[in-house]
Order: sequence, then C-alpha cells, then structure tokens
Amino acid sequence: MTEAIRVLIEQRAAIINRFKEELIHRLNLPYEPQDLHEDVSLLGAGLGLDSLDALEIVLCIENCFGIKIPDQNTSILRSINTIVDYVLTEQEKRG
Amino acid sequence: MRVSPLKNRFLQNDASFSERYGTEIVTRVRDVRTEYDAIRQTVGVTDFSFMQKFRFPEESGLDHLDDMMAGNVAKVRFGRVLHTFLPDDKGMLLADCYIANNDDEFIVLCESIADDAAIRQRFLEKDGHGGEDFTESHIVIGIDGYKAWEVARQLFGADILGLPYLSIERYLFNDIPVRLLRCGKTSEFGYLIMAPLEVADALFDKVLTLAQSFGGFLCGTDIHNDLRLEGRFFNIFAEGRQVGDPLVLGLQWMIDFEKERFPGRDELAGRRAAGLRKKIIGIQAPDSVMFETEKTLFDGDTAVGTVKATCFSYLLNASLGLALFENEVAYAGLPFHYGSPSGPAIRTISMPPIMPKSLTVKLDEL
Repeated sequence: MTEAIRVLIEQRAAIINRFKEELIHRLNLPYEPQDLHEDVSLLGAGLGLDSLDALEIVLCIENCFGIKIPDQNTSILRSINTIVDYVLTEQEKRG
Repeated sequence: MRVSPLKNRFLQNDASFSERYGTEIVTRVRDVRTEYDAIRQTVGVTDFSFMQKFRFPEESGLDHLDDMMAGNVAKVRFGRVLHTFLPDDKGMLLADCYIANNDDEFIVLCESIADDAAIRQRFLEKDGHGGEDFTESHIVIGIDGYKAWEVARQLFGADILGLPYLSIERYLFNDIPVRLLRCGKTSEFGYLIMAPLEVADALFDKVLTLAQSFGGFLCGTDIHNDLRLEGRFFNIFAEGRQVGDPLVLGLQWMIDFEKERFPGRDELAGRRAAGLRKKIIGIQAPDSVMFETEKTLFDGDTAVGTVKATCFSYLLNASLGLALFENEVAYAGLPFHYGSPSGPAIRTISMPPIMPKSLTVKLDEL
C-alpha cells in the first residue's frame, strides 16, 4: 500500500469507527460496527431509520466531532460515507 | 419461458425483450437517455411482471416465510414491507424479496437469480402454509420517478401521499382489488402495483396515459440497472449475481442475525465471525473512461479490486461502478488505477453520489 493511500485510510477509518460506535449505541441498533457498510442508506431504505432517528444522527455527529449539520440538509445524512465526507470537509476548513 | 401478460402492450411500443432465469423481460423501450430522464425528471412505467409473486394467509404464512427469509418476517408491522432476501443453504443470494404484511395476508414479490420454476417451487413445496402462486395470475407495474406520486394519486386518491417508504395498501381499480406497494429502487419515488389479470390491460393503459400526461414514458428494465447503481440501491441482477455473498455486498441490514433458523444461517454467521476479506465500494471514472465489469484496479503494481457493476450517470456525466476491493483498501476517497498499473486514475467514492430530485419533495406536506 502506498503511503498516500495509507494516510487517507487512517484518517477516514478513525471517523468511520467513532461514528459507527456512537450510532449503534444511540439508536440501539442490533449490529456490530463491521456489519454497517458505509454506503448503506440510513433513512428510508437500508437501515430504515425515521425522522426521529435523523435527529439522533445529527446529535451524534455534533457530539463525536463538534460539527453542526445545517438545518434541512438531509443530503448529508444519506449514508455513513456521505456523513464522513462532510466531517472531513469541515475538519479541513478548520485546519 | 414465462412471458408477461403485458407483452403485447410493449410490442406495440417497439420494445426489446430478452430472457432472464426463465422469464422474458422488457429490456428497453426507448433510448437510454430518454428512459433515464423519464425516471429522473418525470415518470417511467415499467413491466415488473417477471417477478415471482405469492400470497400467504397471515396466520399460516408467517412461520413459513420466517423460516425461509434472512430477515425477520415476524417483526413486519401491518401495512409495512420488509426488504430482505431468500438465501440458499450456503447463505448466498437466491432472490431479492419484498415481504408485505397486508393485514390478513403476506404478499411476496421476488427478483431472483435462480430459475423461475425453482424459486416458485421453493416457496410452495412445503405443506400447511396455504400459499398461492400469483406469479402468472397477476401483473406488476412499476411507476418510478420524480412525478410517480402524481400518477399514483390520480389512480387511487390523495390517500397515497400518506404512504411511507416500504408500505402496502389495498385499493380498488374498476371495482377489483389491487395492491399498491410504495417501494422502488431508483432513489426517486417508486410504486409497484400488483393486479389480477382481469384488469391488467385496463390498468396498464390507465397508468401509461396518466404517466404520459406528466411527460413520462414506458421504460425497460435495463434502465433500472443504471438507476439502482447511481442511487446505490442493491441490484441482484448486477452486483448481486456477480458477488453472491450478502455480507460482502453490505446487505447485513437485510439479515436478522438473532433469528434461530433460516437457510444458510450458520454459514452466514461463520463468515461474519471470521471477518470479511473483501468489500464492495463505489468508483467513479474521469471523463475519458467507461468502466467495464471484471476489469482490475491497481494500487501501484498491486491488484486491489475488480469492477463488478457499471453504469453511466447523466447527472454526473461520468461512468460509475461498484468494485470488489480487498478489505484493507475498501474505503471511499482513494485514488487507484484502472485496467493496469499505469492505467487511468480513478477514485473510490461515497455512495450514493447523486441527490435525487424526489428528496426535495415532502409528500406528507403536500
């Protein structure tokens, strides 16, 4: 594995692991972290979470990473990976 | 080969057909771009009659279905639909299934990658379940797209606006009961109508007329392969057929690991406990590259992945794919090379990469 890819993976994996553990804990999901594919749809299809769960996800992101989700911006919550992308972008902005 | 009762309607529209696992399917009606735009911008009408369809009385069907499916049928509430799969004895995929709890009955709709007759036999071979095979006595019409809800509302009334994703309701069409499932795998609004043959042609004509009034078209099933990938909905006919293992495909959400029995349960649990060696991840190509299945992806000189499903996204103007990667590099946001160590640079991506128009509409606020 090249060094550049190793660094990118470490950065992403840290966010994924933290978020999955918090998500499973907060929503009492019957899964282990490795059961949650990062592309699985969170709301409606896939995990089938509802609008109340969406609020928990927003709180989960705020608690884990200190990052607020803009109101009505449901596109960020499409999957774990889209959330991770948003967290990475916001962390980069903060330097 | 099983032929759709709606075949003549599609022949009249110059549709193309092919065979898939013992059933004839409508592959294409218009050109790819027209069908793509129909669903992404307005509405597309598709013949899903190729699905295997069953009805089980709730009382006798519950245990029977729960013993067959990877998901927990006992937990499906009235009026709701479980999206799960039918595993074989090794815990590999046989069929992608909707199991709908419609008050006094379970309705089952399947897309299978095994022979049509074998799947139908599998559902009905045991005694005592009271099940009926609706596969040849009913049609299934798919209504998908940004304006699909308009068509459903014109057909059955404003009540349909209150149907959540993955739900079922019974309505009357020409005084005959039909079942409407809100489901769909395009990431736009989607409905399946299951109706008996006696209203098949009349219902089809009505749905098509309504769809056309909103600018919609007839579509084939091929466009659904593209739209499912673009919206990152599981497609048993693409990555499902290519990979077979639901765990590698990230379908753990379709499985209830706490269930005591279903075919292949122990094998699935064993693979889960051992940990995955491979995982499926989205990929996007630069302008000049069109992905092909079974091509290899490289990190330096090392082969790390294989393309398993592809489509072209007109929204992104790019070729998209799903590739099976070694687990240690199965992450979004990574650069690899396509086809050879010196091939074009591509990236793994977060899925779904698009924001469908339907997500901007809140049906319960209309």
